[in-house]
Amino acid sequence: MDRRAFIRRSLQVAALTAVGGLPCLDLQALPAVAADPPLALRKGTDIPRLVRETVAALGGMRRFVKPGETVVVKPNIGWDRTVELAANTHPEVVREVVLLCLEAGAGRVRVFDRTCNDPRRCYRQSGIEDILREIPDKRLRVEHMDRRAYHELVIAGGVKLNRWSFYRPALEADRFINLPIAKHHSISGLTLGMKNVMGVIGGNRGVLHRGIDQALVDINQVVHTDLTIIDATRILIANGPQGGRLEDVEVRNTLIASPDIVAADAMGTTLFGLQPTDLPSVVAGARRGLGVMDLDRVKMV
Amino acid sequence: MTGLRRLRIVCQLGCLLGFFWLFVATEYRGLDELPYPVSLLFRIDPLAALADFFAPGAFAWQLLWPALLVIVATVLLGRFFCGWICPLGTTLDGAGRLLKSPGGRSRPGLRKIKYLLLLALSAAALFGVQVFGWFDPLSLFLRTLTFSLYPVYNLFANRVFDFFYDHHLPLISDLVNGAYPFWRDHLMAFQQPVFALGLFTALVFLAVLLLEKFERRFWCRNLCPLGALLGLCSRHALVRREPASLCSDCSRCQSACRMAATGSDGHARSECVLCFECTEYCPAERVRFGFHGREGSGQVDLRRREVVTALAVGALVGPTASIAPAAASADSYLLRPPGAVAEDEFLRRCIRCGECLKVCIGRALQPAWLDAGPLGLWTPRLVARFGYCEYNCTLCGQVCPTGAIRPLTLEQKHKTVIGLAVLDKDRCLPYARNEECLVCEEHCPTGRKAIVFEQKQVLVQSRIKILKIPRVVGKLCIGCGICETRCPVEGRSAIRVTNENESRRKRDGLA
Repeated sequence: MDRRAFIRRSLQVAALTAVGGLPCLDLQALPAVAADPPLALRKGTDIPRLVRETVAALGGMRRFVKPGETVVVKPNIGWDRTVELAANTHPEVVREVVLLCLEAGAGRVRVFDRTCNDPRRCYRQSGIEDILREIPDKRLRVEHMDRRAYHELVIAGGVKLNRWSFYRPALEADRFINLPIAKHHSISGLTLGMKNVMGVIGGNRGVLHRGIDQALVDINQVVHTDLTIIDATRILIANGPQGGRLEDVEVRNTLIASPDIVAADAMGTTLFGLQPTDLPSVVAGARRGLGVMDLDRVKMV
Repeated sequence: MTGLRRLRIVCQLGCLLGFFWLFVATEYRGLDELPYPVSLLFRIDPLAALADFFAPGAFAWQLLWPALLVIVATVLLGRFFCGWICPLGTTLDGAGRLLKSPGGRSRPGLRKIKYLLLLALSAAALFGVQVFGWFDPLSLFLRTLTFSLYPVYNLFANRVFDFFYDHHLPLISDLVNGAYPFWRDHLMAFQQPVFALGLFTALVFLAVLLLEKFERRFWCRNLCPLGALLGLCSRHALVRREPASLCSDCSRCQSACRMAATGSDGHARSECVLCFECTEYCPAERVRFGFHGREGSGQVDLRRREVVTALAVGALVGPTASIAPAAASADSYLLRPPGAVAEDEFLRRCIRCGECLKVCIGRALQPAWLDAGPLGLWTPRLVARFGYCEYNCTLCGQVCPTGAIRPLTLEQKHKTVIGLAVLDKDRCLPYARNEECLVCEEHCPTGRKAIVFEQKQVLVQSRIKILKIPRVVGKLCIGCGICETRCPVEGRSAIRVTNENESRRKRDGLA
């Protein structure tokens, strides 16, 4: 039983018994990750091609998405900022990943993020809503978060969190594809894959900034990412995570992808001239068995 | 003539529906510029034009010329606005039906009140106190919708949707859940509106409705200053009613007219709203409207003494209210929307319609009670703990019908200072408890951030820890308040926006 099945089962049990208790998830009971995860790093200016090459290096989208499955694609749409300001995932990256999922036969592809600015403005300004609306496929849904779909979970074995609300569609999907943009972040150092998962949790996220590294591991152990693709076509090197100045943006034309979120984040640190050990969330994630941070143990594909 | 009556009812309902449509359309739905804001309605409101006329600065011709057209049309035709267009009038007609209000002229003396009110309001406006908006029927209607009815509608609608979401009923739930996204995106507020004066505003509206119990269109007959203004304009209107007085064999008009425009003293064109109901209920089918016929004699008789008294009351109240200390100088937290003109002029321009509050995307604006001074009732104030001013949004200036909030370009908006954020070091986590937190810095939207941090070594449980400590850069802060909204400290925020530095304040130029 994987994490997702585990959560779904617990939610179902809770719904069936309909008692006041909360579904409980025991992080210590979760299986450890496989060693030597594959990781792809590609460069190129033609974004659709770049996405396809990167995913192909990992064995193609069909390795991650099986026909009929419900897939959540979770870009960063956090801010009311235009594409060139590098605060949100590049819309073309999102579109290409969505197309790959659809081509792999996904039954449904859902795209959403819990934004920081007004959600409607962020969806528009990021360019993501508009570019996805052009895809004429009924299986694709670009949707705002439904305030009713957050579900509180008890997290046994959580280091920082023992209870938090999560967005159910993200938990219940068959596949979760994480599409962060690589950015500087004043509190967590950098925001990469693990931090991007904060976009599918409820509650007052501001309080997580006290001890954010362990909190991120807790969250990521609840929401399992099947594939992380870090958008580094352009990155924000300062004033993150929101940015707002072109001076803080650097064009890198790079994508990093791995089924191992810690490995992807570990590689992501090198974009900023750092070591994986410099990012506390990566260290905490590796220590708690979320993934592999030692880039020597990562299989470059 | 029954055709005219039917046309009138269709027109009334059409205007009301159009009004609702404009109201719902006055929300951000993906476009930075609103194509159909409900403020269009105020462009035909002569009372808004009058308020603007008395306000300092040039008259906003380009905005308010349709109101002048209404005046001209009223001079020619009569008070058609009240009978055919006004959404409050239509609502009162409906309420009158439900409450079975008596027709006729039970208290003829009360009709003067509206003229005296209009005179008093005008005199007060001349002396610097403009509160037309408290009584303007369009403002009254719109702010009731905004503060009370629309939030309640959203509450109910959400309850219904939530019920079918939480309790899965086969078929029905799927249908309702399927309709929810469309409903939410097009027919509801994106987020539940929350307003402080919801109950009070609703009670005022309810009182206006309940007055129907005494007389039909009690408000329009006796109280409405817009009705009075249009009545004054239509005293010599060209459309005349025949017969111009009661017939000797029948006095049906005296008891049936909704405006009590026809009585023993004849037909009063300043009171008639051209509903054409009398063409129908006249048993002898004698009543005609046309451009011929005698002038009726039943005008409302305003005594000179009453006029002088009303003007004097207005002229006295104005200066008396303006000698009160300015609310903003004592209350550092009185913030106005971006683009608002200086406080004195702001109060003289704002007609308390509540439109800026309706459209505010960040739910930052709240109606003031007495906290913006006694004359500030229902004016918008920005309460940053509840919501913040969205950096790239310029909607409130777009919808303001009287220029109390100037329309800003995005570039101007980015430079308009609402206030200055100030940290409360006794509550801010890094300062007060040596805990990590930079939520304010993270959310600060200005390109060069107005909240920066400094690294500092602190001793936590005998271990040295590097802590990031936020600091506000006064010259860069525009007072949008997102830091105050998002501050994770419970209750009052540990960073609060004060009205220091606000762009609209007149101050001496210090280099």
